Amino acid sequence: MSGAAQGSAATTKAVVDDKSKNGEPAVEKKPAAQLEEDDEFEDFPAEGTQALANQNWTEEDTQIPGGNTHLWEESWDDDDTSDEFAVQLREELKKLGQTK
Amino acid sequence: MSRQLVATFCHEVNSAIRNEDALKIRSILVLEPPFANPIYYELIEELRNEYPADDDGSEDRLEEVIKAAVTETGEGQDEEGRPVQSWHHMVVFLAGWLTFIRDVDTSQLLKAYQAMSDVQSKGNTALQHPIKGILVLPTLIGYAQIFARLAVALDRQPELAQHVIAASEGKEGESLAEKAANVVRQGFLTCLSDRNTVPGGIKDGRPDGKKIGVYKMANVCLKILFQSNKLDNCSMIFKNIDAASPPLHFYPAGDRVTYLYYLGRYHFISNNFYQAQMVLQQAYTDTPTHENFMKQRRLILLYLLVANLILGRFPSERVYSRPEAMFFREIFQPITQAIQKGNLEAFQRMMNLDLSWEYAAKLCRWKVFYQIGNCCEILVYRSLYRRVFLLAGKQPGPMDRAPPSLDLNAVVVAAAYLETRASASQAKTHSNGWSFSNQGLPTPPSYVDPDFEGMQGVAPYFHQFDIQEIEGLCASLILEGLISGYISPKLKKLAILGTKKAGSPVKAGFPNLWQVLSTKKREQAGGDGVEGWVKTQQAGGGKVVRLASARPAGS
Repeated sequence: MSGAAQGSAATTKAVVDDKSKNGEPAVEKKPAAQLEEDDEFEDFPAEGTQALANQNWTEEDTQIPGGNTHLWEESWDDDDTSDEFAVQLREELKKLGQTK
Repeated sequence: MSRQLVATFCHEVNSAIRNEDALKIRSILVLEPPFANPIYYELIEELRNEYPADDDGSEDRLEEVIKAAVTETGEGQDEEGRPVQSWHHMVVFLAGWLTFIRDVDTSQLLKAYQAMSDVQSKGNTALQHPIKGILVLPTLIGYAQIFARLAVALDRQPELAQHVIAASEGKEGESLAEKAANVVRQGFLTCLSDRNTVPGGIKDGRPDGKKIGVYKMANVCLKILFQSNKLDNCSMIFKNIDAASPPLHFYPAGDRVTYLYYLGRYHFISNNFYQAQMVLQQAYTDTPTHENFMKQRRLILLYLLVANLILGRFPSERVYSRPEAMFFREIFQPITQAIQKGNLEAFQRMMNLDLSWEYAAKLCRWKVFYQIGNCCEILVYRSLYRRVFLLAGKQPGPMDRAPPSLDLNAVVVAAAYLETRASASQAKTHSNGWSFSNQGLPTPPSYVDPDFEGMQGVAPYFHQFDIQEIEGLCASLILEGLISGYISPKLKKLAILGTKKAGSPVKAGFPNLWQVLSTKKREQAGGDGVEGWVKTQQAGGGKVVRLASARPAGS
């Protein structure tokens, strides 16, 4: 179940073929069509000689541009009281005498 | 025709055993037609002629021939002269393989399943040999993967297998997929409990002996159980791993990532979102970014994203711009915006159980819809209280001794207004999750249970927020630590505490969600340990797993 041989071949291929490498994905199809996808988690390619222990992916293989940090926003509270939502809410509160 | 080919195959297998070449054995014992090498068709022809399926004695005769030809299955000695017990189960397994390829008909799924189950069980028994068992491990892992595919395919066509399920001995409703998982699990347990390894099961930085197969076998079981929607039954596997596995990080990356994906999903489905995000984050970080692995990265990211969402962490621009996150922005940004603004109307519309939101069915298929609906609603309420506090809260002057406060009646007004808007029939939700119209307000949401629909005297139920409910909700939010303050039941007001320390009333009253939730979940779990994720070497080199106490997956 090795993946190294296949994996490196695939990497080379991806570098050559991949149009979406620089920035935007090349796909601009309809959402619905794209969303029809299988939810099965496919096995990682594992053919080859060193069958049992050869998926030695390097850190380089798994790095996304800019690194794996700051993937998640932890501070997103919104203090804007002038957006449409806030304005409508304020109106409603005003009607019932609830604004300050 | 002579018995030449059976003998030739036996001879080949015998040499492979002598050379301890497990991969050679796997390459000989191929299972799945069509066979690339025509010699297999000649072998099948020979088997049909010499050992026909309708002759009851065929299998016994085959075993005799194998036993005589594959001499390595007899008793012997190892390199140091210690006796090695005979490997009769390998003889049985080889005969099982020969009869399998003789009889298999891929158009007959159920028959193939039963034959596969039989040959897999025989392989499991051969695997148990303390010294030589490991030689069939790669073969058996390959078989398990084929068996998994077959079991899942059958599980999706239950009409084919109804009578078999009905006839299963005493185990009510156990599906073929569960049965298959149980068969594969025996092989998994054999790998896990291999005692013929160095203490701890890790030698030169690699899993030793059959322990190398632990996660591959576990992943096949998990795949079957997940694909057939038996997620509850995975817990035994994680418990077994916890009890006896070497640390996960010694295993090949593909094994690790696949295992962490299933483990993460298991914790997700068990509402352990904090554990789920830790596990899935590791899986995501460890999966190569090239496009061959896009599908795996996408599925990992999906559950990672939702687990984080429920814990109050939103995807950043960096996540949304990843190719594997295609269309995640369209789906999840309206949800995060609704949470951010406290927009109950938009949230309720999206999470409406009639699945009328354009992405609702998709979220359902991914099995995250109800989790988002149930677990994120409280986050929306927290933001709504916060929003109303910003608009209508009372912030005392510098000389005032009273704390900042919010009249809860204002929240009643806001919540009722938003909920009423959400129930507007036919109203379309904008992509930003918020739509205003100047038409008059629709009626409040009504509900009649479908069982009572059309019956006389049954009045629909109209939900309307009142001060009791808003006060109760506020109390829950305080209890959960999502709002920091206290309620004056007499004045119907929320008073905010700790303004000076936090710097502002709104910061004091509404602490950072992720901080609160992650701290709390970590405390509840007693740290960052995760059931099913072995990170450090276990004392004494892993415990012995007692097969007798192992519960089948379906029970």
